Order: sequence, then structure tokens, then C-alpha cells
Amino acid sequence: MLNRLVQFAIARPKTVIGAAVIITILFGSQLPKITTDTDPKHMLPITSPVRQYNDQVEREFELHPDVLALGIVNERGVVNKQTLGRIADLTSQIQRIPGVIVRDVTGFTTIDDVTVQGGELAVRPLLERVPQSEEELASLRRKLFENPAFMNRIISPDGKATAIYIPIEPTANGKEIADRIRKLLPDRSDGDRFYLAGDPVARDTFGAEMFRQMGLFSPIAGMVMAIALWFMFRSVLLIAANMAAAMISIIWSMGLLIWLGYPVHIMSSMSPVFLMAIATDTVHIFNEFFFRYREVGKKKQAVADAMAAVGTPVLYSDLTTAVGFASLAITSIIPVRIFGLAVAFGTLVILLMSFTLVPAILMLLSEKKLDKSIEVADNKAIGAGAPIAGKASFLSRLGEVCVRRGKIIAALGCVLLVISAAGIYRIRVNNNMVHWFKSNSAVRSADREMNQRLGGTSTAYLVVQSPNENAMKDPAMLREIEGLQRALEKAPLVGKTFSVVDYVKWINRVLHNDDPSFYRIPDSLEKVGQYLFLFGMSAKPSDLNNVVDYPFQKANIILQLKSWDAGAMKDVLAKTAAYLNAHPLPAGATVKPAGIAYFNLVWNQEVLWGMLSSFFAGVALVLILLFAQTRSLLWGGLSFLPLLFTIAIIYGVVGLTGKDFDMPVAVLSTLSLGMAIDFAIHFVARFRKRYGESADLQDALIWTVARPGKGIFLNAVLFALGFSVMVFADLTPYITVGVFMASIMLLSSVTSVIYLPGLIQLFRKQLLKGEKR
Amino acid sequence: MKAHYWIAFVLSLSLLPATAPGETQPPGPQIAGAEIMEKEQQAFYSQGKDMKAEIRMELVTADGKKRLRSLTMLRWNDPGSKDQKYFLYFREPADVRGMTFMVWKYPARESDRWIYVPAVDLVRRVAARDARSSFVGSDFTYEDISGRNLAADSHSLLREEKLGDRDCYVVESVPKEPTDYVRRLSWIDKITFLPLKEEYYDVQKELTRVFTADRIESIVAAAGGEQKSFPTVTRRTMKNLKTGHRTEVAFTAVAYNIGLQDAVFTERYLRNPPERWIK
Repeated sequence: MLNRLVQFAIARPKTVIGAAVIITILFGSQLPKITTDTDPKHMLPITSPVRQYNDQVEREFELHPDVLALGIVNERGVVNKQTLGRIADLTSQIQRIPGVIVRDVTGFTTIDDVTVQGGELAVRPLLERVPQSEEELASLRRKLFENPAFMNRIISPDGKATAIYIPIEPTANGKEIADRIRKLLPDRSDGDRFYLAGDPVARDTFGAEMFRQMGLFSPIAGMVMAIALWFMFRSVLLIAANMAAAMISIIWSMGLLIWLGYPVHIMSSMSPVFLMAIATDTVHIFNEFFFRYREVGKKKQAVADAMAAVGTPVLYSDLTTAVGFASLAITSIIPVRIFGLAVAFGTLVILLMSFTLVPAILMLLSEKKLDKSIEVADNKAIGAGAPIAGKASFLSRLGEVCVRRGKIIAALGCVLLVISAAGIYRIRVNNNMVHWFKSNSAVRSADREMNQRLGGTSTAYLVVQSPNENAMKDPAMLREIEGLQRALEKAPLVGKTFSVVDYVKWINRVLHNDDPSFYRIPDSLEKVGQYLFLFGMSAKPSDLNNVVDYPFQKANIILQLKSWDAGAMKDVLAKTAAYLNAHPLPAGATVKPAGIAYFNLVWNQEVLWGMLSSFFAGVALVLILLFAQTRSLLWGGLSFLPLLFTIAIIYGVVGLTGKDFDMPVAVLSTLSLGMAIDFAIHFVARFRKRYGESADLQDALIWTVARPGKGIFLNAVLFALGFSVMVFADLTPYITVGVFMASIMLLSSVTSVIYLPGLIQLFRKQLLKGEKR
Repeated sequence: MKAHYWIAFVLSLSLLPATAPGETQPPGPQIAGAEIMEKEQQAFYSQGKDMKAEIRMELVTADGKKRLRSLTMLRWNDPGSKDQKYFLYFREPADVRGMTFMVWKYPARESDRWIYVPAVDLVRRVAARDARSSFVGSDFTYEDISGRNLAADSHSLLREEKLGDRDCYVVESVPKEPTDYVRRLSWIDKITFLPLKEEYYDVQKELTRVFTADRIESIVAAAGGEQKSFPTVTRRTMKNLKTGHRTEVAFTAVAYNIGLQDAVFTERYLRNPPERWIK
């Protein structure tokens, strides 16, 4: 099949190139339709129970999934004329921004305050007009600190910070709204500092950054690789053909992804860099072609010979790569699945190009030009020959050491494995979207500041559900809800809890002429019902709807968490379970979690288990391919060892350094499988061929380390250089991927070249038994 | 559309013959917006000397969940001024039965309000500054229930057009002080001066709430020794387009000029509702 493809490409190069161009234009025409998706909720399919329940809770309690928080900090206290005036102006201006949900913007000027003054009940916004006198300011301060509902939500305990909560329509772009809000902020601070935080800002800023990084780093990675290729092979043609294969695979796979209607997510935004690195596989074809052309001097013959020689290794290394990526498809995390399939598809495109476009391009070259460029290349190679020769001799010395000191190297390897195991044991699985930004970024410092001063920027819901209507008016139920709130508030990362109980107690106090001793749950269902009705007579309907459902069968406890870490929510669930064990709810009512914090926790677990299962699926598939290629269980297993070793060390380091095991890291484990295995495939294949020819074990090993070893190192350096540019990204997942891919490639090349000779030497009896001499 | 046919039907049967000849002639096109709105307020909020109605409000969420409010309303117009007094007795939901609410309303200043909470046997005065806030959690505001100060908005007649088959004035009202809407359009029936439809636009200039009069009935009552017909909106809906929430209100047992006395509207009756009117 492949042979026939090559024959066709050689016979009709122009047709092949023309077809490639037309198909590429077809896929390329889809690119302008690109959209991004950075909503963590979309990590799980729309059918997942967590997502469905979450949507249901948001609908039932009229909660907004996307809320920005504008923090305002003044070290002299925010209750002063200037700051209050600014808060009032900002709030009304923010309400005018399209996409902002006008009715539910919550701040000093809009939050309902239930008070009693001179025997007169009032449900009014806390701040109706900016106070002008010291007396009025003092009265506002008193109101703020007396009502526990305000504490840690719209006022910090030290009075120096407040916040305006800005819900936005699900269709609105958080970053655009955030940018418009930033434009409203006063130029002169005069002691006021402003911080814009919240999930939508992070998400949409991330989406915008993603485009920038993708547009910036893909070309830079391409340039770096092109320059490296130049230094390695000194051929413009080779670089051009390599880039053509890379570009075509990128355009086809991204075009297909967009065509099928998928948005680009953080993971798939990195696929161009991956495909560019994978496309370096074509280097083998060019290398072999130039070599053959020198020998036979006939273009057509050289192309056919080169393809016959490297066809099988190229096929297998691309197949293992594709399989590694495709095994990501079994995870339940949608963006990872799409990314895996897109890159797998792109890899197959590269494979197809290797057998069609690449030989076709070679056929179009005039033999005259070819002769010339080979001359130039040879001259240059001679000029640069000394260091390469030196390196080769260094590599053969390295080979000798590896062969002789096999046992020591193996022992050292075991020690490293043990240390890595200890590190892996300490791995902490955690996804924290805010940590996807650098520590000094605006998004992250705003989040940090708000979490330090107010209740927290991450939200969770605990929905209490009873089989009976009106259950949430029952004082016994309310007392348990209150108890649960107090128990949860003991957790250091729970900054605020709020429920219907807080309203009931406050109204009880206000009705009784603001007597603090009435700040408690009343003793009858009628009282609770009438208090809530009284409150609902003039409060914003959403005040009550956020915390109880229409039949009073469900209550919603709103939690603010000071951290986006999954651990914070895990602690909440543990404390909830412990409380409910000791205090069963009336009528067998249950508590069910929801909200973005809970979502992150679930997703977190999905990441771990999803990645583990796709990792093992990848391992199995790669092993099967290895067995098929080497036609031997032992050799297949042996080829796999350097990769396993690499992965163990990398994740050992992750555990030991305390870096969070998050989605990008988890995904890397699976996809590194297919890419890093290439070196061992090359090493073992070349060694066995050499050994079959010479039958001198030591000589064959040292030769393999020196010759194909050099190719392996060059390939690894090329890979690593391509990925290393991502270290300069503004978003941490890119840095993570850059560092990890570079180190995985370098490490696996080193382990392949150092450990394989030692292992082959050690297990020569078993391994070489069946080898033909 | 259905509602408008119904309106037309009812009106053609009962309203027109009973209306005084002078009123059937619609005023000329030069009529000012403010004048139309004044007539609207008279027709919608103050007909007769007094009024009694059973009111059923259904609060319906976007996904169809319902909450019920049912109450008895008494209204009395002060014959010597434009002041009005309202008495509300809540019947449902069950746990608030017996809660009462009283309003003394003055055209150009804040009204006085009292609430009685039976579970704790307390009468409290309630601040009236929240005229624009939701009435008992519904999509209607207090002002939607009892009328807004005419002078608080500038009114202008935009055009005249048919709504369904009724000839209407379309009046634009723009609040002079910032409030929850920046613009209101009212379709006012040229004959009855009842509002058939209202649209409220928010600060983003988007349509947020829509009022529709879904059914108009003529209630016949004694007036000055003869029978008079009072066109009354007996079914109305306020829909919030932003939340998808709506409130449907039905008036039943509507009666005018039943002889209510000023004395009923006092704190004493809040605790013990007048049995003659409220059973």
C-alpha cells in the first residue's frame, strides 16, 4: 500500500502537490471561523450528572454562573465620602454595560438592607445617597458591621475593603466587560485601589491570551526548529519541505476541528507546536535521500531507495505517536479528548505527507540544483566536520562506558527509580484555574487580594433538600442549617456562608425593635413563614430566591471559598458529612453540593482517573505496536523501558518539587508515550540490524550509540528547542508543557542511549538467543 | 391577540351603551401626553367612590414553578382630596393568612403604610420609599399596584395606533429622577383610558418588563342614583423578559361603591379585619 503511494508520488509529483494544496485550502478556509472555549464547566460533557445538577441548581435558585467581583480597597476605610461616591458612580455605570445583568449587580447601593428606625420597618438599598455628614457616615458604618449578612461579603472585617458583584449574561465575554469596567476606574487613586477578579475574568482573559500565545509561540517554535535544522543539515530545501509537512498537518487538523464545530481549548491551542515537533520525523527521509543520491546519482532511484529504507521506522514511530495521542480520547474530559484526536489526526497527515508530498517535492528538484546543494552541504559539513567528529568519538566513548559499566548504571537506575517512586507518592492532584496565570499577573494578584480581605472568590452551594414542602420554614431544620454553617466556617478556607437562616434571624431582630437578643431562629413555622413573607414584600425577589426554592422544599447554603484549590471543597464535603452524621436532618432531608468549587473538585478527580486510564491504554497500545514491530516480547518490552524510566523520573520530580499535578501535566504523561518511544524504536532497530550483520555484541552496541545515537540526540535537541520557547509564555500551562516536553524528550534520548546498551549487555543471553547471526 | 378580541367583545356588549355620550367622543389629536395619563390614572386606579376585589396572583418562574398569593383588597377614595386608602388581607400562602397591610396614599408625597404580623401579634409601620420595589415578590411594583405620581415622569404622546382592534394613544413617559426604568411606553385605550399594554425599558435601553391587560369587564354599580358601568381590568400580566418570570393577576368579585367607611382604614382593623367586608 505505502509502496504504491510512493510509486504514484514519484510518477505524478505535480498531481500530488496540487491535490495537497487544494485540500489544504479547503481545510484552511475553515480557520477564520475559530472560536475559543475556556469555561471549566465545559470540561465535562453536557450529559454529565454533575453538570446537569449544577445547571438545575442555578436555574432553581436564580443564581448566575458568571459573576465578576470588583474589589475596592482603601487603607483609611472605604466608608468615606470620596470612596462611597466612587462606589455609587461605578455601580450605576457598570449597570449600563451591555451584558451585565442590571437587576442583580450587588454592592453598597443595591444590596437590600432591612432596618427599623423610629419603629418603621424598611427594606432599602444600604446606600441610597452618599452621606455628607460625619454622623451619616457613622450610621452607615454601624449598619455595615451590625448585619452579619454584609460581613465578608460587601465589607471586610477591618472596614478597608468592599466589593461590587457583577453577574453577567452567559453569552457575554467576561474579558470585554472587565476591560470596560477597568476603563471606568478613576485615573487618580487618591487612596482607593481597585481589583477585578472572578471566574469569567480569568476564563476570558485566558482565552484572549491563548490566541496571543498560540499566534506567537507556534511561529517562534517553527523558526527555532528551522534554524536548528539549518545547523544540522545545511539545506534550505529540507527545512522548507519539513515546514510544508508541518503546516499542512496543522491546517488540516485545526481546520477539521473547527469544521466539526469544536471550539479551541487550552489544550488544542498547543497542537500546532506538537505537530511541528512531530513533523521533524521527515528529517529521516531527507537524510537518507541525500545519502542515497550521492551513491546512485539518480533522483528517481534515490527517492525510491530512501523511502524503502526508512519507510518502516517512519511508519512505526508516527503510528506510536498517533496512538499515544488517540488514547487521550478515552478520557471524559472533552477538551483533552478533542486535543488528542486532533493531534493524532495531524500525525497521520504527517505520515501521509511523508509517503506522498515529501517524495513528490523531491521529484520536482532539478538534478543540477541537487548536485550543487549537495556540494555546498558537503563543503559546509567538512567545514563544520571537526566538532561533529569530536562528538561522535565522545559518543563512542560513552557507548563503551555504558557497555562495560552496565551493572553500575542499572543499579544507579534502580536508585533513581526508588527516589522517583517516593516523589510520585507525594504527588498532589490539583487544578486551580487562577494558578494558570503567573503569580504577578493582574488576574492572580486581584484574586489574592480579594481572598485575603473578603470571603473568597470561589463559590460553592450546598443544597438541602427535603421530601416535604415548606420544610425550610421549620425551625428545627433551620437550626441544623445554622449548625452546619457554623461547622463549615471553622474551615480556614471557608470565608463566608450564607443561607435563609441569616435572613430569618435578622428579620426577627429588626421586628423586635433591633434587639440583638432576638437575633435567633424563632420558635414556630408560622413566624418563619410570616417573616420571610414580610421580607419578600419589598426585597428584591432574587434575595429570597437565591436561598430557597418556590415550594420551600429546598434551601441553598452559599459558600465563599478563599481558594480555587480542589482541596478546599474536599474539606467542605468532609466537614458536611461529619456534621450530618452527628445531626441527621429532619424528615431525612439530604445535602447535595454544586457550584464552581464543587465542579472543580469533580473535574479534578476526572483528570486523575481519566488520565490514568488513558495512560494505561496508551501503554498497552504502544506495547502492542512495539511487539508487532520487533516481533518479540522481550525486545518490545526492552524498547519500552527507557520511556517508562523517563516518565517515572519526570513525575518523581513533579512530586518532589510540589508542583500541582494538573490537567496539562496529566495530559503530558499520555502523549509523551507516543513521542518519546521513537528513540528506543530507532535504537533497537538499528542495533539489531547491525548485530545481524557483524555478530560482535560490543562493537554493535558502541556503533549504535555513536551513529544512530547521534541522530537520536539531534532529534531530541530539535524537539526540545521547539518546545523550550514556550517557557517564555505568560500562562503557566504553556510553560509547564514547554518544560515538560523538552525534558521528556531529552531524558528519553539520554535513557535510550545510555540504558539500552547496558540492559542489552546484561540480558544478552535471553535477548540474543533467537537473533540470527 | 385573543385577549384583545375578548376585550372588544365585552366592551361592545356592555360598555358602550352605558357610557355617557360625551365620553364616547375621543378627544382631538392635540391632547397632551400628561392629560392622557391623568385620565388613565383615574380610570385604572380610582374609579368609583370605593372598591372591593378578591385578588389572586400567580408568580410563575421561567421553568413553570408557581407561587400563589391570594388576598382581599379594599380601596376608599377620599371625597375631599385625591388621597386614597387601601386595605389588604392576605389569605394565601396558608402560613401568612391573617397578615394585613394598609396604605394611606397621597398623590404627591410618600404614602403611609402599616403591616400586621399575626404570628408575633405586632403592627409595624413600613417605610414607603420603596415604591419601585417588588410587591410581595411579584413582577409588579408597589407603584404598579396603586399608581405612580404623575409629576414624577414627563409624558408625551408619541402616536396613535390600533392595538388589536382598539384605538390607542401611545404615550412615552420618562422619569425625571433615575429609577429602575428609563422609559415607559403605554398603549392607552382612547375610549376607556385603560392601559392595554405597557413596556418598560432599563438603563441599557432594553425592554425588561411588559404589562398586558388580558381581560376587561364592565362592572355595573350604583352611582348617583343610577346604574353605571365601570370598565375594569380583571386579568393582567406583568412579564419580566430578562428573567422569564411572570405574574398573572385575576380580580374576582369586583364591586364598586359598596359604602366603605374611612374608619375601616385604621390600625385597630389591621389586627381585627372588618368582618363585614372580609370573611
